[in-house]
Amino acid sequence: MSTNEANAVLPTPRKLVVNSLAEEAGIWLFVFKTLLAFYLTGWLAMRLSLPQPSSAMLTTIIVANRQSGMVLAKSFYRCIGTLAGAVAAFFIVGLFPQQRELFLAALSLWVGLCAGGATLYRNFTSYAFVLAGYSAAIIAIPVINDPPAVFDSAVARISEVLLGLLVSGVVSDIVFPSRMRDVLRRTAHAQFAHFIGFVQGSTGGNIARDSMEKAHLRFVRDAVALEDLRSSVIFEDAEARARSGHMLLFNQRFMAASTSFQSLHHLINRLQRGAHTAAAQALIALYAPIGTALDAPIEAGAAARVLLPRLVTARQQMAALAVTLRDRLASDSQALDFDTGATLLNRFADELRDYVDSAASLQSTGRLANSVERVRFTRGNDFMDAGLATLRTTMTMLALGAFWIASAWPMGASAMLVATIFAGLFATRPHPNQAVKAMTLGYAVGMSAGFVCVFFVLTRMDGYMLFVAGSAPFLIAGLVAMMWPSLASHGLGYSMGFAYILAVKNTMVFDPVNFMNDSIAQIVGLAFTAIAFVVVPPAIGSRWLRRRQLERLRRQVGLAANAPLAGLRHRFESVNHDLFSQVVEQTEPGSNDSRALLAWALAVHETGRALIELRNDMVASPLPTDVSRAIALAVGVLARFYENPDTAGYLLARDSLNSAIRAASENAIARPLLNHLQLIRLGLLDGDSVLADYMPVAPISTETAHAS
Amino acid sequence: MPREIALGDALVPGLLVVFVASLAVLWLLDWIAGRFGLYRLVWHPSLFRLALFVCVFGSFALLLF
Repeated sequence: MSTNEANAVLPTPRKLVVNSLAEEAGIWLFVFKTLLAFYLTGWLAMRLSLPQPSSAMLTTIIVANRQSGMVLAKSFYRCIGTLAGAVAAFFIVGLFPQQRELFLAALSLWVGLCAGGATLYRNFTSYAFVLAGYSAAIIAIPVINDPPAVFDSAVARISEVLLGLLVSGVVSDIVFPSRMRDVLRRTAHAQFAHFIGFVQGSTGGNIARDSMEKAHLRFVRDAVALEDLRSSVIFEDAEARARSGHMLLFNQRFMAASTSFQSLHHLINRLQRGAHTAAAQALIALYAPIGTALDAPIEAGAAARVLLPRLVTARQQMAALAVTLRDRLASDSQALDFDTGATLLNRFADELRDYVDSAASLQSTGRLANSVERVRFTRGNDFMDAGLATLRTTMTMLALGAFWIASAWPMGASAMLVATIFAGLFATRPHPNQAVKAMTLGYAVGMSAGFVCVFFVLTRMDGYMLFVAGSAPFLIAGLVAMMWPSLASHGLGYSMGFAYILAVKNTMVFDPVNFMNDSIAQIVGLAFTAIAFVVVPPAIGSRWLRRRQLERLRRQVGLAANAPLAGLRHRFESVNHDLFSQVVEQTEPGSNDSRALLAWALAVHETGRALIELRNDMVASPLPTDVSRAIALAVGVLARFYENPDTAGYLLARDSLNSAIRAASENAIARPLLNHLQLIRLGLLDGDSVLADYMPVAPISTETAHAS
Repeated sequence: MPREIALGDALVPGLLVVFVASLAVLWLLDWIAGRFGLYRLVWHPSLFRLALFVCVFGSFALLLF
């Protein structure tokens, strides 16, 4: 016993040391690569005699990241943003070469609009918007007194940024690259294994509601994480780019299958709670072949293809089984419940097969067929938040511009530039106030370190190698801090402040007065940004925005009910997932808000999908006018209820749904639609769901509700 | 090679234009290589990509010289 324990304990500290060493090695590799890119860029910029080598060097700090794919993705968008900003700068200078007020107003508006646009995206695309904004400012503001120089300014800025990007890209891609492709592959594989395992484990039929909610949370996170990874990996790896369409399809099918899966389990749960245990048992029995089919050892690589034929067999078994199971059921209403469940189960089986199919094609190493369905991952955006970001950034710029004009402050341009940069960069963060504070602190410390470095160390140094030796120790501190999660913002601020204030030039200028003035201007600019975030608080994370997002989530039912059908399923699923994950990121797990949100998300998901399937079937088979009118009415009322949930709306929705079911059951052609309608109705009647709050106080007995 | 190229009467360094153009060409070649899985035949894809870029950039510059 004791020896066993000793054996079990002994490797742990050793492992701990090895693990932490591996972690440290990663950090120092990052530091080394960033330093290499930084000084290589500086040297090249000086050889090419660019006017401001320091801004090329700053670029390498800004795009620095441990993952090669991240660096390349950020570089790509930085390149686009810089070019767009240069064009905008031309226009603004060309429009108002002589009126400084109009010039500053136009520039502020442009920067604000770009900051607003940035909040609409959640990957590096948002970075391109921020850059388009502040590149225009960086190019235009220094030439405010000499408009024709804007061309030189733009060319210099573009050359510097491109040089910095080239060097960072090459260094991070070639010197010990750390690939995100492997992370993506692992994530996709984990998603697949988890989902298949979960489905297989739950064929017994009983999943408690809260474990279902947890599973839903995990599915949504998986789907969004995969999409985020995919959008960065395509820059790193040409093959991943070629497979990107398949990856998107894989993810969409995952979302579709997981939604159907949940609907199915909610249905089974409901039937078991009501007096319909027989139907529930029959459904669970019908479900069994899928469980057996998935019960294959999931190994790396071959897993998905092994499952495919088994799923096809399971589907055939289910079709045969359905007939016998249905015959055993006693009453008509039970048969109806069973049919509803069977339709859902068939839908799920088909979607599962599609999902496994695209997993298999992704796992195969050969060339992929080109005929992949075109899908997009649509995001759910809030334009109000974008408006706020625009307002805030524009206001910051205007206030600083007015102050600059009124005080004739020689360093006004410098303050304005730094304010532009940070107001844009932080608009997309969830907690900008803390980030700005940390950044300002880091920036101040970085500039102090810069003072020591420039006036006490670099004055004694001569030549590039000595410059590297003299400044690298200061920079290393910031880069290491960037890798510590708790100090990341401080570290970034420190490194940026240091690299900025170093202001390396071919003929180094040592001017303490200018140095101090510039430092003060930088801090003032940052302080203005911090104030702006207090005056116009960011909507992200606020209760108000959360309520709005919840409303948008509910309005998704309206989308499912009214939007054109082409591509609607993918659109519905991806917007749902994106909205949901946004709100999840901003709520505390386990809080009341988060529980209410989860409950709503489940209801919206289920009802929305059922509505889409219903509408698809309605288009496929022409219906008599009175039936289709009754159904359309019920769909419309339901969408309105979700938009504005109250008791009256609930009753109206329930009654119109009942009459639609009555109308459909009287007509032979409309029978297939009955299953979808029944599914929606059972969801509406579920006393455990979030809709329970709107039900009339006296509970309707399930039997009378079944009066069809 | 003309050291500067006039774009709409604004003088732009010739190398910058060539650089941007060769980036675009590299993007295209990279896309083709990824599409047909050519990178599987190469030992170190990113080194290969860099070498390819140097070739493209160099040959453009030589053409204009």
